[in-house]
Amino acid sequence: MIEREILELDVLFVGAGPASLAGAIHLQRLLRKSGQDASVGVLEKAGEVGAHSLSGAIVDPRALKELFPDKSVQDFPFEAEVSEEHLYYLTESRKIPFPFVPPSMSHHGCYVASLGKLTRWLGEACEKDGVDIFCGFAGTELIYDGDQIIGVRTGDRGIDKKGTKKQHFEPGADIHAKVVVLGEGTRGSLTKNFLHKHSLMKERNPQVWAVGVKELWQMPAGTVQPGFVAHTMGFPLGHDVFGGAFLYGMKNDIWDLGLVVGLDYKNPGVDSHHELQRLKTHPWIRSLLEGGKMVAYGAKSLPEGGWYSIPKLSVSGAMLIGDSAGFMNGQRLKGIHLAMKSGMLAAETITEAITENNFIETKLRDYEDRVKSSWIRDELWKVRNFHQGFDHGLIGGLTNAGIGLLTGGLGWGFKERLTSIAGHIRMEKGMKKDRYKDLQFDGKYLFDKVTDVYHSATAHEEDQVPHLHVNEPDICITKCVEEYGNPCKNFCPADVYEMVPDGDNQRLQINFSNCVHCKTCDIMDPYQIIDWVPPEGGDGPVWINL
Amino acid sequence: MINILVVVEDNRGSMHRMSKEAIAGAQKIGGSITALVIGDNADTISNELSSIAIEKTLVVKHELVSSYNPDGYTEIVTQVIESTSPDMLVIGHTYQTRDFMPRVSARIDIPFIPDIIEVEQDIYTKQVLNSKLNSSVSSLSDMKILSFQSACFSAEDILTGRSSSQNFDVDLDPSIVRSISEEPFQESAAEVDLESAELIVSVGRGIEKEDNIPIAFTLAEVLGAEVSASRPVIDSGWLPSFRQIGSSGSAVSPKLYFSLGISGAIQHVVGMKGSKNIIAVNKDPDAPIFEIADYAVVGDLLEIVPKLIEALKTEKDL
Repeated sequence: MIEREILELDVLFVGAGPASLAGAIHLQRLLRKSGQDASVGVLEKAGEVGAHSLSGAIVDPRALKELFPDKSVQDFPFEAEVSEEHLYYLTESRKIPFPFVPPSMSHHGCYVASLGKLTRWLGEACEKDGVDIFCGFAGTELIYDGDQIIGVRTGDRGIDKKGTKKQHFEPGADIHAKVVVLGEGTRGSLTKNFLHKHSLMKERNPQVWAVGVKELWQMPAGTVQPGFVAHTMGFPLGHDVFGGAFLYGMKNDIWDLGLVVGLDYKNPGVDSHHELQRLKTHPWIRSLLEGGKMVAYGAKSLPEGGWYSIPKLSVSGAMLIGDSAGFMNGQRLKGIHLAMKSGMLAAETITEAITENNFIETKLRDYEDRVKSSWIRDELWKVRNFHQGFDHGLIGGLTNAGIGLLTGGLGWGFKERLTSIAGHIRMEKGMKKDRYKDLQFDGKYLFDKVTDVYHSATAHEEDQVPHLHVNEPDICITKCVEEYGNPCKNFCPADVYEMVPDGDNQRLQINFSNCVHCKTCDIMDPYQIIDWVPPEGGDGPVWINL
Repeated sequence: MINILVVVEDNRGSMHRMSKEAIAGAQKIGGSITALVIGDNADTISNELSSIAIEKTLVVKHELVSSYNPDGYTEIVTQVIESTSPDMLVIGHTYQTRDFMPRVSARIDIPFIPDIIEVEQDIYTKQVLNSKLNSSVSSLSDMKILSFQSACFSAEDILTGRSSSQNFDVDLDPSIVRSISEEPFQESAAEVDLESAELIVSVGRGIEKEDNIPIAFTLAEVLGAEVSASRPVIDSGWLPSFRQIGSSGSAVSPKLYFSLGISGAIQHVVGMKGSKNIIAVNKDPDAPIFEIADYAVVGDLLEIVPKLIEALKTEKDL
């Protein structure tokens, strides 16, 4: 029996993203106002706050303004206010402006931002307010007392490849809390099991995801207009793959260029990293990157399902916030403000719970009521059928979005609720056309995957059990190779999965130290046998301003 | 003329490679050099020092520092500084230095400029922010402590000569030593020292299977080289991890880097781009390794290398 250190807190947020940090700040202030003394902590697997944060991003400042009523927008760590916005349909060589951009898709009054910078800023604000942030510790297990969640166990350190203890072995600690708030971000590893164990997705649409891949480009001085925003549809994804590109102007002549690819495509050969490289073969994009240098790379999945894919939000002793709950507006391409607001609403319920000393489900359910009567619901309700429409391709999706716009959110056939199926089920067997046969990585504008991965600065202790568990590895070399041609090689944007020759056969090699923690494999694997669990705390990408 | 004190590290009974580099550095800086050796092996090491062009060697032997411990070393170095008042203390940037030298710096309040990669008069260059930037530092103080990163100076440049040694008596109170060192940690890499190897034969995925690994060793033997590998070879378990070159392995800068069947992903290249000469053999003419290679051979290493070994052997016999 390993003896573990026990840390007693009142409230523990898991994952230092915008949802948890905004929640922790709000909670600390509410507790202070009500004269209560409670300890609030935030657990973060990255070595520092912000190092695993990645988003587009265009931020709606609404939640930040509510959280910091005394501050003005100039105080927030934004790049620039959106100064110019475009929406284009791309063909292989041309760009065609959309004749009409509906106000619901406009970014007026919003700000180009780096989520990494924003979370670092929120992290500092948190610590100023007396919240403890524990960086470099990953939550690996929820601790139960009967049905009540009473804490989180953090990961052990110092276990070698074979699973035996190394000299500097250090067991993880048990952090006890009256309320555990899961703000792990997209496809959280604790959240995944938690949703299943408590059947929280019952009667909901399954969550559907996309993966965003992006590069930052340092351009010559004076060539990038901060606040410039362009979104595109069409090339390189075409009509059958959900998604589109974004190009945002940041401070100091940096282009933020990225592509979102829906994780519900049919062709197992689709590769988000390669699609981003193809995007850069477009003459317009190429002309914008002329003379620049790629300086950073990253990828992250994002929940696209919308209102009907949001799980039940509370059980006894725990709540779900931010991307872990799926608070993302797919039509507005924004979720940071919703994530922050959800954390703040959870904080309000927790303050009451602490006053009443009652942490069972019937009390914590109050959080869900608060969400339903907040502007989160108003905003997501209007676009509740948005993503489902793209099950019929780009034209179907746009038509459906049009219906939604005119009717306040109804879907195809003027239905109140369109259903959906999980994205990995849509993948079709059999090899399809190779989308990348003409793709040439020139090392200047187009990069192979490992070069991009290098620019994510990701690193992992090599001598540990790979944190990507493939539960039935035989499937890879018997079934999957025949049926789908090992799509893990393609959907992983970081070259983690590789089929290498092994005698006369092949075997799966897991280059786990390349992992950028996007969770795409856990989501998109057609057999659902990949389980992403946290590596040793502090491992993973080191993103500065993605 | 300035007085320089070099603290020499004991590496299992002989002078640490980085102490040699520190001495070479001190000689380049120029001045009257005193070496300090501490511990049970001090006599053997001072013997090594007797044929080097320095002023003298101070030998400290005391039961409390028969092997390394930070409290004892801090106290001794402090006493030596106080008694000899050098203008500059120079040392290799080893783990041991990182452990005790900050204490010396704090104890007697003199600046410590660690991990220097380049010396230009009184300006010292060190790397910051994960080696992304270089920073130039100088000191306003009359006295300073400098530690040099590996390969900042070359041990080959040591000027030989003659020097004597003398014992230095220290006054050590047993109560100051709060920890006892265990046996020196046996690094797995002790077998090969890639970072100081002059010739390296490095293999990548192009070697195809474990059975072909001996080819690399045969070539290395003929050349008098060490063997290293890129990541896929290590991952496959064909060679132990201390032989890995690249961002998650060692960084090397040999005179000759013989790259066999390595594609040259950036993660590998950052570990060997400092090599003086790079010969690359690869089947793929577009392999990125060729961009940094001085000599590029497009072909199958399994065909080329055995012939090369034969040719080298014949050459040697002649």
